[in-house]
Amino acid sequence: MKNTISKYYPLIPVFAAYLIMFIIGFFMPGMWQMVALLAFYCALGQSWNIFMGMTGYVDFGYVTFIALGTYGMSLGISYFSQFEWLGIGILVIGLILALFLASLSALLEAFIALRLRGAYFAIACIGINEGLRYFIEGAKIWGGSEGMIFFGALMQAFGKETVNQLTTFWADFSVFIIAALAAFLNMHYMRSKIGYALTAVREDEDAAKVMGINTTKYKTIAFLTSGLLGAGVGAMAWGLKLGHVYPGDVFVIHYTVECIVVVLLGGAGTLLGPVIGGLIYGLSKYWLAVIMPGFQLLIFAPIIIIIIVAAPEGVVGLLKRRLKGTQLEMFIE
Amino acid sequence: MPLLKLENVTKRFGGLVAVDKVSLEIQAGELIGIVGPNGSGKTTLFNVINGVYPPEEGKVFFDGKNITRLPAYKRAPLGLGRTFQIPRPFGSASVRENVAIGAMFGTLADKVSVDDSLEIADRYIELVGLEPHKDKEAGTLTPVEKKMMEIARALAMRPKLLLMDEAMAGMNPKDIDDMVKFLKRIKDEENIAIVSMVEHIMRAVAGLAERVMVMNQGAKLIDAKTEEALTDPRVVEVYLGHPTDKSKWRSEVWKEGKDWDE
Ligand SMILES: Nc1ncnc2c1ncn2[C@@H]1O[C@H](COP(=O)(O)OP(=O)(O)OP(=O)(O)O)[C@@H](O)[C@H]1O
Ligand SMILES: [Mg+2]
Repeated sequence: MKNTISKYYPLIPVFAAYLIMFIIGFFMPGMWQMVALLAFYCALGQSWNIFMGMTGYVDFGYVTFIALGTYGMSLGISYFSQFEWLGIGILVIGLILALFLASLSALLEAFIALRLRGAYFAIACIGINEGLRYFIEGAKIWGGSEGMIFFGALMQAFGKETVNQLTTFWADFSVFIIAALAAFLNMHYMRSKIGYALTAVREDEDAAKVMGINTTKYKTIAFLTSGLLGAGVGAMAWGLKLGHVYPGDVFVIHYTVECIVVVLLGGAGTLLGPVIGGLIYGLSKYWLAVIMPGFQLLIFAPIIIIIIVAAPEGVVGLLKRRLKGTQLEMFIE
Repeated sequence: MPLLKLENVTKRFGGLVAVDKVSLEIQAGELIGIVGPNGSGKTTLFNVINGVYPPEEGKVFFDGKNITRLPAYKRAPLGLGRTFQIPRPFGSASVRENVAIGAMFGTLADKVSVDDSLEIADRYIELVGLEPHKDKEAGTLTPVEKKMMEIARALAMRPKLLLMDEAMAGMNPKDIDDMVKFLKRIKDEENIAIVSMVEHIMRAVAGLAERVMVMNQGAKLIDAKTEEALTDPRVVEVYLGHPTDKSKWRSEVWKEGKDWDE
């Protein structure tokens, strides 16, 4: 029994980091916004890592899930806020719609794109993302290119005070929850047959098949998990928090690139990596925007490239090497 | 009922016939060697047996079941284990994790947990003598160690049939002798049929196999008791490129255990 618990020790530093962030944000005036931004990057990095970190597939279309999650929440609020008696149930419906849309697209993508390898996979995912965006705009569904604005609907259903709390606290808080859930699932997969199967897929997919691994099944599990978590982040951090959605704002590959950077900075396929990556990325982005608004990318891009070249296994890769053979080893994964 | 039965199996790559109407039966617990010059279709035959690709013609039966069109990942749990000619370790995983993967998804797949698999892995790692390297990343092993690791990984699958693709290439004579002894022991202890493909290491074929199939240009040249097969004039000719005196062949190459290449 003790053995089983100790296998989950690497979750301790992750949860500790989230807790400290939360405490800082909650008790220090003016810090909440920044902490929420950090949690956003940690949650996305952690979610994305479950698929890409473990399988080595690079999913450039990952933002599709975040976008569909946003749409799910937006649809839920837009259409169900008229039933005031649903109360908080409106948001539950929104979340369910978010997960439903994301599952649909995950299964579709798994069916089409997961059969492809390497660059073909990456391109297919971008194609699906762009296709969806133009479909929404062209077919004029869900508000077409004008998107949906449902802040008013929120106000009507919950009243000013509650909406204020929902958008400035609970939306961000749920991102923390998703980040923690993603970390737990990540850890759990690492310790189960799923993790071993995905490692085999990452290293040599054909050999994995010969060893008896149903590679499609395990890839789909990871893909779906990763996509649903991403949809959750979208639903909360973009849908509920902003009160509107425009296709041109959400189906943007830029966000996928941010996820990739977060994961690579911290260490792909590691548990702590996305947290460290999210913190480094989020903090630098935040400070650079304060000190040098407008120029942050100019400074940022070379810094990231330098870090990634200097530490190809990410910060956690370096850390693990340092701690090898010490007592602390079992806490870092 | 034979454990493995090939019926007129043909595999083509474009115009090239890599495996040409090969039929073969292997009984449970047999030790068979497959030999043949480079490019004679040995590896391709293995790939057809374990489902890397289906044959254009012919059928493959395992344990009485027609597996000709069965995907590779469904064959391993039936009891088909294999090692690769060019080792294919899961490089970033440790030796222990590699071997555990064998246990996890082999014939015991439904019965063992991750922890059980790691225990099984420890046993086979010890058996092949890789214990000191257990926690190393498999990608950092030497080529020979990688081959040993692959054998451990395949054995951890608890197969009924183990296909070894030139597992002994690159080993020195002493290692080969040890390996032959080891495989014979394993075969008896675990009741595994072993098909060992050896390109031209006579020492290994002669010491290990009870029966030998010789392939040439994709086709089966002969399938007979080891000594008979290896001294057959047709086989000698395929290897040397010219006929030779049988007694000379026997004394110089076969008995002294030299490589055919020499
Ligand atoms: N995937 C492939 N695509 C095209 N041709 C192939 C493929 N695999 C093998 N071949 C060809 O099929 C023939 C048989 O190759 P195979 O690797 O089975 O021979 P082998 O007996 O294992 O040789 P070696 O002793 O060199 O390992 C060769 O001519 C080879 O070039
Ligand atoms: Mg070969």
